[in-house]
Amino acid sequence: MALTATLAGCSSLTPSSAAGDGDLVLRVQGMPPATDKPGLALFKKQVADFEKANPGIKVKGSTTVFDPLTFSAKLSGGNVEDVIKVPLTEPPRLIQQKQVQPITGQLKEWEHFKEFNPQVLQPLTDSAGDVYGVPQNPYAQGLVYNRELFEKAGLDPDTPPATWAEVRTAAKKISDSTGKAGFVHESKDNQGGWQLAMLTYAFGGELQKEQSGTYTATLTGEPTKKALRLLKDMRWKDDSLGKTLLNNQNDVIKQFAAGQVGMFMGSPGTYRLAKMQFGMENTDAFGAAPMPQSGGDATLTGGDIYMVPKSADKKHAAAAVDWLTFAYAKPQYSTDLAAEQAKALSADPKSAVGVPTLPVFDKKRQTEIDAAIKPYVNVKLQNFKPYIDGLSTLKLKPEPPYQAQKLYTALDPVVQAVLTKRDADIDSLLASAEKDVNAKLAADQK
Amino acid sequence: MALLTPSRRPAAVSKDPAPRTLPLRQRGTGARKQFTAWLFLVPALLVFGLFAWWPIVRSMLLSFQKTNLVDPAVWVGLDNFRTLFDDPLLGTAVGNTLFFVVLGLLIGFPAPLILAAIMSTVRRGAGVYRFLVYLPVVIPPVVAILLWKWFYDPGSGLFNNVLGKVGLGPYSWLESSDSAMLSLVLESTWAGMGGAVLIYLAAMVGIPGELYEAAEMDGAGIWRRIWHVMLPQLRSVIGLLLLVQLINTVQVFTEPYVFTGGGPENSTLTVLLLIFRYAFQDGDYGQAAALSFLMVLTLALLSAVYLRATRSWSTS
Repeated sequence: MALTATLAGCSSLTPSSAAGDGDLVLRVQGMPPATDKPGLALFKKQVADFEKANPGIKVKGSTTVFDPLTFSAKLSGGNVEDVIKVPLTEPPRLIQQKQVQPITGQLKEWEHFKEFNPQVLQPLTDSAGDVYGVPQNPYAQGLVYNRELFEKAGLDPDTPPATWAEVRTAAKKISDSTGKAGFVHESKDNQGGWQLAMLTYAFGGELQKEQSGTYTATLTGEPTKKALRLLKDMRWKDDSLGKTLLNNQNDVIKQFAAGQVGMFMGSPGTYRLAKMQFGMENTDAFGAAPMPQSGGDATLTGGDIYMVPKSADKKHAAAAVDWLTFAYAKPQYSTDLAAEQAKALSADPKSAVGVPTLPVFDKKRQTEIDAAIKPYVNVKLQNFKPYIDGLSTLKLKPEPPYQAQKLYTALDPVVQAVLTKRDADIDSLLASAEKDVNAKLAADQK
Repeated sequence: MALLTPSRRPAAVSKDPAPRTLPLRQRGTGARKQFTAWLFLVPALLVFGLFAWWPIVRSMLLSFQKTNLVDPAVWVGLDNFRTLFDDPLLGTAVGNTLFFVVLGLLIGFPAPLILAAIMSTVRRGAGVYRFLVYLPVVIPPVVAILLWKWFYDPGSGLFNNVLGKVGLGPYSWLESSDSAMLSLVLESTWAGMGGAVLIYLAAMVGIPGELYEAAEMDGAGIWRRIWHVMLPQLRSVIGLLLLVQLINTVQVFTEPYVFTGGGPENSTLTVLLLIFRYAFQDGDYGQAAALSFLMVLTLALLSAVYLRATRSWSTS
């Protein structure tokens, strides 16, 4: 009944209101929590500068972070801020469901709009070419590994596995010689399907195709089957995937931070989580490599996206885009602003400054930004070198464009079956999942 | 044994045509008093209607609509229900929920009664035992589940470590579709037992000691005293707690959501978790509302049947 009430209760719209003194109050997500003192100080300075440059607008920061449990209900009920921050997994669905507003017109007024990296904007763009958000710290998925465990297993941490056959060999060595999980594949909360999408891309496949404007799932492709066979062999022949097999991303990063995991598919950004959220002490053991490949030469992209929800009225939406340009687009373009921010953040030893990201603009601009923030970098960039060096060889691919979460929901049990049942029949599991999810997609597109 | 059924009343009593007290409306001075009564009731009715019934009505309407809750909803008739019944996961979720309910009845229902019966015989340190039994109830559910996740950990978990000392295991508690649901029931029994134990203990205190003495004088041993004295005296409490447990277990969500996310292989996917997935993962609020509606209907029917059955049982 509680859920029933929640579903029904979130239908009332609460449009943003203006302040009593005539100022427009803009509510924005993305304010760092009080525990992140340098981040918060930086945010407050940005707010003060923005308000000075835009008289009549007051910015009210919110520390609310994306929570899949409550986000949809709050968004649908219009109870979110005028600027929302979501992971890159969300925009395609939000755009399809028309829960966010296009910001193209106003964003184009910014002189450097055309210089945005098109690959980064692609998942934020609809079929008509309208852009719906500004990215922050975009990344491509890769292989995160524990350099210390690599050394203990007699592997060279400066030469991480480049193919999935090499990952398998390395995982077995780590598992055999250290007793830790050589490689961990996520398997619940839709993240099993999400990671299988990454593997499918690396093996040269796709999980969805579009024909005459209709999307169908293609889960039975040979690349997906090969990927699952690999996991099955690693689990049942090599016993290198550890004992805990039902994991989501946080479970895996937590175990990695505690030194219990040799490798997992993740981005450099997981460094922040491992260090700041899960207390990884030996951060020098954190290594990042590009996504190992087996014929696909592609990897999946991710990042934080700032968007304007549909509940913001015209005035607030316009102010919201001004804020997005001021607070996120410009500092990722301007070397001075980037350096200023990096300096402020590096004041806290617990921070992570300099974690590599994808170029939000072009590669040249990113190199200039990297040079500007170099004095304040407090992560061991050398450990990210394999990732940075190898990234340019890979094609960056967004998530399946239509209802990706439904695909992942159907694939989670397949991954779980492979990991928990020795006799799991991959072909029939995938065939059944494909049939089920296509029935759902067809119903959605009627 | 006649002494042991004091709650029974002669059948004639319930059919007595002459009420012993006059109904309220006949004792007052008519419309004015009735108006005053309604005036006092209005705030409560408004609040109840707005926060309890309106969401339920809205939810029922939602089950016949397709909506993202921002744009105007589109009326789709029974489409949501058709899609729902076409979803093979619905059968899985219903089956799993029933399995959870049955396991809960077999393990979770008798456990607090047995514990309360044992605790009622303890004289020294009773308060300490009550505190210990009730403690899990005040631990936030997610914290309790994370604690048990460590207990169940197949690598370094408490249970496998202890069992390993006597040569058993290791077992994949949550990692196997054969044992995952049982693991969830064990944790939820531990977490929820304290409240029921206290209620049973309070009810046991109310049983007149003479009944036990009379039974003892008639030569009844401990088991006969439990069977013929204690249980009949607790009948109404047992019935109430059974209904509460049924309703709670049918609505199980937190355990499968936090422990297993519905896995492995959907073996712990429950109806409420499926509703959650429809609404908050797929953004399909209409379908989520349709399943919520069916669930409410089922629970209401179940409660009605149960109350009817137990009413005839208690007056038999």
